[in-house]
Amino acid sequence: MFDVRRAWRWLVGGSELVTAELEPTDDADDIERPWLRSWDHLPKRTAGPDFTRSDYRAARQRAIEVARATLGDNLWADLQRHGYLELPSTLFDGITYRLRVGRRIEVRAAPGCRVPWVYPYLCINPTYPLPEIEFFAQLYLYVRDREEEIVRVAAPQPWDQSLGRTF
Amino acid sequence: MHRIIVANRRGHQVVEWDLDTDTEEARERIAEAERIIQQARQQGCVVSKKVDGKHVLDTAPFDPKVEEYQIIAPIAGG
Repeated sequence: MFDVRRAWRWLVGGSELVTAELEPTDDADDIERPWLRSWDHLPKRTAGPDFTRSDYRAARQRAIEVARATLGDNLWADLQRHGYLELPSTLFDGITYRLRVGRRIEVRAAPGCRVPWVYPYLCINPTYPLPEIEFFAQLYLYVRDREEEIVRVAAPQPWDQSLGRTF
Repeated sequence: MHRIIVANRRGHQVVEWDLDTDTEEARERIAEAERIIQQARQQGCVVSKKVDGKHVLDTAPFDPKVEEYQIIAPIAGG
């Protein structure tokens, strides 16, 4: 049945108050557990057909708080200042990973060093849709704490591009 | 209060538990938190925990005394 209120929310993007704080969910059954579902059918950079404009807005707003909590204040400030964060490789001499929100990882080599992949951009996505700032913080943890996983899954690409599984 | 941040397409959802309250409900809350982490790990997710104000990836068993956990999505190339 056609839901006028839902259609209106979709059209205007919603006027609900967006809560950015990390508020607890009373019932654990209400927690969406994306690891239990398949998301392969979704078009790129979308979160699902049930998502309204206001859902996107609210999700992105909440994601900022999570990303900030994940990175900590100092890294968050660096990200705001520079627009990216860099991490030195612990596996390859002279290699630095430059991470930007919603983009492929740029692999940068110091003078005299070679990028260990055939192309300098690494395409790495979450297996389920996430706001891009949230995934950025998660990817930072992977690069810093589990670089071997980055090396294992990375799809090297010749150019920069937006990630497909984030929005 | 201790908590798990479940990062998902909603931005996040949070499960909290309290170690200072010894009730059936509080114990069930902790058990549910442990189940969420266990289930997520079984499905390929990674878990981080807050240490000295920042998150680090963690492979240790669930510890209710940890201030904050976060579920980290599995990653794939392409």
